[in-house]
Amino acid sequence: MPISGVVITTRPEDLHQTRQFLATCAGVEVHGADGRGNIVAVFDTRTSEEMERLLKTVNACPLVLHAGITYLNMEDVIDGEGLDSGTTP
Amino acid sequence: MAQTRRDFLKMTAALSAASFVGVQLPLQEQQLAHAKDAEAWHRGTCRLCGVGCRVELGVKDGVPFALRGVADSRTNYGYLCMKGMNFWKCIGHKDRLKKPLYRAKKSDPFKEISWDKALDIAASRFADAIKQNGANSVAYYGSGQCLTEETYLFQKIMRGGLQTNNVEGNPRLCMASAVGGYLSSFGADEPIGGYSDLEKAHCFFIIGSNTAEAHPVLFRRIMRRKLDNPEVKVINADPRVSQTSRIADKHLQFKPGTDLSLLNAMANVIIEEKLHDQAFLANYVAFKQGKEGQNASFEEFAKFVAPYTPEAAAKTCGNNITAEDIRQVARWFATSKGTVSLWCMGINQRKQGVWANNLIHNLHILTGQLMKEGADSLSLTGQPNACGGVREAGGLCHILPGHRPVEKEKMRNQVEEAWGVPLGRIPAEPGMHTMSMFTGINEGKIKAIWINCTSPAQSLPNCNLYNKGLASDDCFTICSDIFKTRTTEFAHLILPTAFHFEKTGVYGCTERRSQLTRKAVNAPGEAKPEVWMAREWAKRLAAKLNDPVIAQCIKPFEGLEEDFALPQAIWNEYTQKLTKGRDNDLRGASYAVLARMADGVQWPAATEEFALTGGTVKKFVKGMDPMADSESKNDLPYQFYGPAHEDRKLWIWLRPQADPSEIPDAEYPFYLSTGRIIDHWHTMSMTGRIPELLRANPYAFVEINPKDAEKLGIKPGDMIEITSRRGTNTLPAKVYEGPIEGTVFAYWHDQEANRMINKVTKDDYDPGSKEPEFKICAVKIKRVSGPQPLTPFLVS
Repeated sequence: MPISGVVITTRPEDLHQTRQFLATCAGVEVHGADGRGNIVAVFDTRTSEEMERLLKTVNACPLVLHAGITYLNMEDVIDGEGLDSGTTP
Repeated sequence: MAQTRRDFLKMTAALSAASFVGVQLPLQEQQLAHAKDAEAWHRGTCRLCGVGCRVELGVKDGVPFALRGVADSRTNYGYLCMKGMNFWKCIGHKDRLKKPLYRAKKSDPFKEISWDKALDIAASRFADAIKQNGANSVAYYGSGQCLTEETYLFQKIMRGGLQTNNVEGNPRLCMASAVGGYLSSFGADEPIGGYSDLEKAHCFFIIGSNTAEAHPVLFRRIMRRKLDNPEVKVINADPRVSQTSRIADKHLQFKPGTDLSLLNAMANVIIEEKLHDQAFLANYVAFKQGKEGQNASFEEFAKFVAPYTPEAAAKTCGNNITAEDIRQVARWFATSKGTVSLWCMGINQRKQGVWANNLIHNLHILTGQLMKEGADSLSLTGQPNACGGVREAGGLCHILPGHRPVEKEKMRNQVEEAWGVPLGRIPAEPGMHTMSMFTGINEGKIKAIWINCTSPAQSLPNCNLYNKGLASDDCFTICSDIFKTRTTEFAHLILPTAFHFEKTGVYGCTERRSQLTRKAVNAPGEAKPEVWMAREWAKRLAAKLNDPVIAQCIKPFEGLEEDFALPQAIWNEYTQKLTKGRDNDLRGASYAVLARMADGVQWPAATEEFALTGGTVKKFVKGMDPMADSESKNDLPYQFYGPAHEDRKLWIWLRPQADPSEIPDAEYPFYLSTGRIIDHWHTMSMTGRIPELLRANPYAFVEINPKDAEKLGIKPGDMIEITSRRGTNTLPAKVYEGPIEGTVFAYWHDQEANRMINKVTKDDYDPGSKEPEFKICAVKIKRVSGPQPLTPFLVS
């Protein structure tokens, strides 16, 4: 159950629209914002892969200039789900 | 209502984020107080890029459970990037190397052996090579990811013990041109200012750096500055439009290899429009030209740059930018209250890498955009300890610890005295630089090499050529690493090392800042810290070569436990004996001080008292840099005491435009450039094992401009063959308005044989810095098929 604290930065004039966008993203909880375009959010996903995908989605939004992570909890994350690796083809 | 642990964690996460931006949340800190559990937080530095972000690793019952940024660290103010928040997953990964592996021939399978046997073999093969072929037949090739203590100890054993300067590291491939630029322009390596200028800058000149993806936490600081102050100008100069361009007021998309013209044209505009700082030039500056650095004058410099009119440069740069663009950015640069330039591999990995660095510095010197708040000429580094370990502690063939050139007898003698070895023990000649070292393997000159924490089989340019030598049994090859790599495939002996937070030591980041990471968890299996390996290896070498001087090199470290006491003793020797009085004086940065600091110490910092203030934020400025006061020769506020300029001046260089060593022609009509993607780092041996990062970008691809794609009938996802005079890759295409027309761009992390782009890149190198020109070569491209299913690949 990875949980992240994230500061999402947008242009101040895009703040409202960005919050509306974030409201459509499953796993994102917006906890606060300020007039400088900083949005404080918590990402809560089932797997760390979903967390990564969510970060990608948020970062890919044209309104979002940057999503900076400040905290990551990864208790219970199942590790060792690595890809198949091999030798030189 | 009872609070669940999940609620608690969410509150922790939200408060953590809110605290960094000063947002008030309707949550109470005291709500968190009840849930401390049996957790311990261990402070250290991020393992990946060169920014030096401070992190805290949460450990419970010996297992990491959380990572958080350190809010009061002046490197990252608590922020981390996607790579940074995931590097911990290499701790305890199932693919970790856990036992020494050996094979007598490279065609044989590996067998597990004991450490005792492994170290005995390592020492025997090095000793045999030295007895039969001399000391210069052995080599150490390290990394900007090794801890400073590791680099220092290995180079001490090699130089003082084995009597060879064949000590190199992969920063030769990324930072050597920046070193050459700083030394020849400022007389001293490493930047004058640092990150603290970012919040005070009024103009950013970002050239040859995709900061948004390669250094995302710094990019955030730049972006924040721009957003809070819309009048701040951001100039991005790059042949490729990247994520960094998002916040640029002006993107200068020039043709690859024409940046010297652009920079000279900016200097010309500054002089033509009298925007230079005459008082600064009169007090602090000399003009130089030619290989020998003959004196020149301001008038000669003005005459030299006069032909680089904005119109002429716009044409040279490919007519994708206008003369007025060049005038405008030159004015922004010169007239802002503070200008910070940032660059990275796009400038350094060039045949004229040192010159390109010089020309950026020229603009700062010409306009006096240095030493004051918000002004600096700041080379970004790609690895966490390229500066601290390799550049400062003797990790390159021509540099001894404390920024001492090998060829100067006085410098060698100082080191020999500090080590207690006979004068004359360190050879006078610099050793083989990286490209010469791997050429030496091809030519049979190097008979034994220890490759530590890096993968040259993938990271060297034109790697097919050098892998022929590495594949041979003629060179006994040791690799110490945490995972198997393309290079361990060529090893006789693989030694499993402890990872970050599994050992103790110091990293020195981009801005002269040294930071301590202490061991927090145990390494898996029999993996060991490199300082232990080096000491035990040297002990055996001393016996096999019957040389008490080798034993003398490790005598101060005998019997010390390897998790803390050993690296501390090595750090103490290096800082107290070898940085004393040098421009990177680190005597105040003891382990005790570093452990107290949220974000380490910036050198010079000669005393603990000063180090506890954080050290020197701005070099050369009286009142800010104690060495500027103690070395002062006059009443001027700035004192350039750097070791390379006896005249104590900054130097403006007359450097002409020069083409890269390979330009497109009828047979190879495209430029190829390579670079980094946000999810992966270096040769992917770490980030490729983090499923989230791997799946985000499972394999490399090539970016191609839509106009070029249309001409060649290439559609998104088609498989493209890229061929240079050296090799071929087959990669999927991304049709994208990124690279300038006539240029393709590929990512270099992929380990898969057909997607290793360094088979294609060029190994010509800068004659001064010896850094190869990875960034520019000529290729032909051909569509070979439609989209194909691809499989991610890692060496196992």
